[in-house]
Amino acid sequence: MDVGRHPKIELLAYSEVEEVEGDLGAFEVTIRKKARYVDESKCTGCGACAEKCPTRVPDSYNEGLGERRAIYRYFAQGIPSVYTIDPNACRHIAWLRAREEGSNVKVKKCGICEKICQAKAIDYLQQDRIIQRKVDAIVLATGYEVMNPRDITEYGYGKVPNVITAIEFERLLSASGPTSGHLYRPSDFVGKRSIPDHLPHAKRLAFVQCVGSRDKRYSIHCSGFCCMHSIKEAIIAKEHDSEVEAWIFGMDIRAVGKGFEEYRLKAESMGIRFIRGRVAEITKGKKGLPVVWYEDTKTRRVQSEEFDIVILASACLPSKDASLLVEKLGVELDSFGFIKTRPFAPFDTTREGIFVCGCARGPADIPESVAQASSAAARVAQMVMRESRKAVAQ
Amino acid sequence: MNEVERHILVIGGGIAGIQASLDLAEMGFYVHLVERLPSIGGKMAQLDKTFPTNDCAI
Amino acid sequence: MKDFEKPEDVRIGVFVCHCGSNIAGYLDCKAVAEYASTLPGVVFSTTNLYTCSESGIAEIKRAILDKGLTRVVVASCSPRTHEPLFRSSCKEVGLNPYLFEMVNIRDQCSWVHMKDFEEATEKAKTLVRMGVAKAWFLEPQEDLEVPIEAKVAVIGGGIAGLSAAESLADMGVSVVLVEKSPHLGGLVSYLSSLAPHFSSPEEVLNPLIARVENHSGIRLYLGATVRGIEGYVGNYRIRIETREGEELQETVSAVVVAIGAKPYVPLGLYGYDGRGIITQLELEKCLRKREGDALGKDVVMIQCVGARSQKEGEKSYCGRICCITAVKNAILLKELFPDTRVSILYRDMQTYGSDFEAMLWKARSMGIKFYVYDVNRPPEVREGRVLFKSNIFSDEVIGLPCDLLVLSTPLIASDDATAIANLLRVPVDANGFFLEAHVKLRPLDFATDGVFLCGSCRFPCTAEEARIQGMGAAARVGALLSKGKVVSSAIVAEVNALSCCGCKGCLGVCPYGAITYDEVKDVCEVNPILCKGCGTCTGVCPSQSVQLKGFNPKQLLSQVHASVESLKEILTKYERI
Repeated sequence: MDVGRHPKIELLAYSEVEEVEGDLGAFEVTIRKKARYVDESKCTGCGACAEKCPTRVPDSYNEGLGERRAIYRYFAQGIPSVYTIDPNACRHIAWLRAREEGSNVKVKKCGICEKICQAKAIDYLQQDRIIQRKVDAIVLATGYEVMNPRDITEYGYGKVPNVITAIEFERLLSASGPTSGHLYRPSDFVGKRSIPDHLPHAKRLAFVQCVGSRDKRYSIHCSGFCCMHSIKEAIIAKEHDSEVEAWIFGMDIRAVGKGFEEYRLKAESMGIRFIRGRVAEITKGKKGLPVVWYEDTKTRRVQSEEFDIVILASACLPSKDASLLVEKLGVELDSFGFIKTRPFAPFDTTREGIFVCGCARGPADIPESVAQASSAAARVAQMVMRESRKAVAQ
Repeated sequence: MNEVERHILVIGGGIAGIQASLDLAEMGFYVHLVERLPSIGGKMAQLDKTFPTNDCAI
Repeated sequence: MKDFEKPEDVRIGVFVCHCGSNIAGYLDCKAVAEYASTLPGVVFSTTNLYTCSESGIAEIKRAILDKGLTRVVVASCSPRTHEPLFRSSCKEVGLNPYLFEMVNIRDQCSWVHMKDFEEATEKAKTLVRMGVAKAWFLEPQEDLEVPIEAKVAVIGGGIAGLSAAESLADMGVSVVLVEKSPHLGGLVSYLSSLAPHFSSPEEVLNPLIARVENHSGIRLYLGATVRGIEGYVGNYRIRIETREGEELQETVSAVVVAIGAKPYVPLGLYGYDGRGIITQLELEKCLRKREGDALGKDVVMIQCVGARSQKEGEKSYCGRICCITAVKNAILLKELFPDTRVSILYRDMQTYGSDFEAMLWKARSMGIKFYVYDVNRPPEVREGRVLFKSNIFSDEVIGLPCDLLVLSTPLIASDDATAIANLLRVPVDANGFFLEAHVKLRPLDFATDGVFLCGSCRFPCTAEEARIQGMGAAARVGALLSKGKVVSSAIVAEVNALSCCGCKGCLGVCPYGAITYDEVKDVCEVNPILCKGCGTCTGVCPSQSVQLKGFNPKQLLSQVHASVESLKEILTKYERI
């Protein structure tokens, strides 16, 4: 990706916007650059530190399915390609803090990464930095969050083994994921120190659509892209292993984009089954595997099927992480909780000079997000140039 | 097109934020891209592959 | 062939990258670097933990300056990842960037020979020898820079084209807007209202049209046809036939294609007659005039007419917006004429996203009925009733009274799409819609530089989506034009006019239309701006007259021979030493 190297882009990763003051043409922004405890200018991203770090924590990039160390890179190709110490996991930082406070915490000092690092990039005493930037306009691309399906108790997420979310399943499929792309049942390896040998591959997969979407109890909106990612995941799983049987349970299969219907047909021709309807319940079967309960609408009978893994297509929700920022900025939200825009001024928030694109304004798939981003850029250019012409005229 | 350098703040380093930043920078704006996480890439970076071409996400 | 410098002036530096443990874990990088130092011409060799890191780059730069390197070889990963970085680093300290060569000892060596350390080390040495052999024959090249004017043509004056034109003009770009029909607005101007907010088309279109018509930066050609397009990025010459029948030419730097789409007319389907059995677009026209009540109390809509079908003459894709249109029109009918009973027969209800789904919930709450029909047993229209079997509940036949049958048909590619595609040499997909450079990451660009697309000519979309894409295309054009120049890589094909026999073999295989034939000189010529350096032409030339810079036969053969021969033998054979 070119962002890291573009001469006209200042990349402030691991940073958060704290305050925004001013208006279109003259915003003053306060940004907190969080301490990585690693000097970005010195770190070469070699990874020797993480190899030797003794502290393991669940890896959020792999949705907790794998582990990372206390010093870590968010993901292998991540930009900027520097390491970060998780201050809540690092023993040495805990030890230093305890010593400073004079408290008698029973943590041993560590300091291994500092000894390993040839580039001398480790800095346990690094502090957050507050920086100021003056900008003409602001674009919000704060994205969305995936609903945690725990609230939908009848689907057993967190209770019934091998019921996982779609993004967790993506990590299972990925060559860079916790299983190096082998499709194992999470119950066979999660929580173990390493992946046991000769695990059976998961053969029977169920995809459950509209988990929290199109549901009055949670959110009535359609999350737009889940039908397609379930079809894609089913196809990829089948390509990994032709013996995989995949069932997709959904009310409507929304394959509305370019090439999408053709993709759905490909899935059908590969033997992927589509069952119309909303899944009623997911329970733990006799073998400890998840059982999907649904209604066969033709025979009007309740049916059940046992699977190795059940994948929940959980809803695209307004980002909670961004809600504080959104509140500070004073931009309004729509009835779904996404950032409000006006019809046919699709990027203008309710505050002049602040624009929004992508899933922050509602569910959008990748090409839509890309088109929206370009479009928001055009809108910014239009507004800023109009403003500067006005200024010149005055 | 720009006589005075104009600065834009983009908040969020997912695919939308990245594309907006690149287009703005290429149009001559100076962009400050703020991302909460240690790396940019957003949700898309977590995907295995993308349909319909099954290209890699990153 | 140009003369090379004297052998003693060839001073090669070799940098072997550990790539953390990606390479160093599976082969002996130090031994590879030591081996490299024994090769003819190599005056410096070293290993780096990460050659691409700041310290690795600094070491390359330092060696170029201190050791007077005239060639740099990096043995690391794929050129796709870091070649641009290494080239620009060479350039920064004054070494021509094309005197750089990359050897892939990761993807092509350490990663595929993880179990044999010795053999992998030997193979890496061979790969490095091959790279150094090629480096001996590298020549400096210059990138091409062409100044471009901030001027663009937008073809199509619907909502996508209007939005693109307005945004571009506001950015200070001169716009030529060509619209085939005598008025602006496209399909949207025929609609009764726009989903999901029920805004009136006039409310959206009129201010936009006014801004476009009155913008000093936009030249408007209404009722005009594009007759010809020639040229390339920075220099497209467009022949336009005006409404008055005059033919004139505009020269622009880029082209935005926004020609829209047209509705599928369901001739022969469900007894379509345009009166009691009509399309959604025809219903829109009635609703615009608030005439819906004259059409009857019982209205039935059938979705996917001519769409999602494998039948001859019908379309296999989902039309994206037809369900949204049906739900919106059903709501409008109910609001205008509350006594109307509306039923929608569908396969999958495609009200994607937040606002459209909310519209569906509203429709349900208003008493609009939704039935799923089985695609294998489509509805039948008989004596004022629509009969169908639902595949959800049972095999029972359901009969609905029907005064007005509305068929939801998809938008299909415009009649002009193929002609425009041929003129611009851009691709269309199996359905006749324009094919973008990358369906996910470059939805508004064509693979051809300087040509962009937006709106329903890409794929059917709502009015708001068309506006978004139009503005998005404007940003893509703005990004191209803002620098005032285009830079194209020096790695392009070149024809040796002395040996070319004018057989035109290369012309036929060039995927970019970059080769032309000069009848007077009887030779083929390559336009370096259009050429993308794919090298296809070099494979078909019977006399090796067309060659790719940086990949000429001498460079490639020396590299190939070096896989089995010593470097000294090769240099002697090619009279390099």
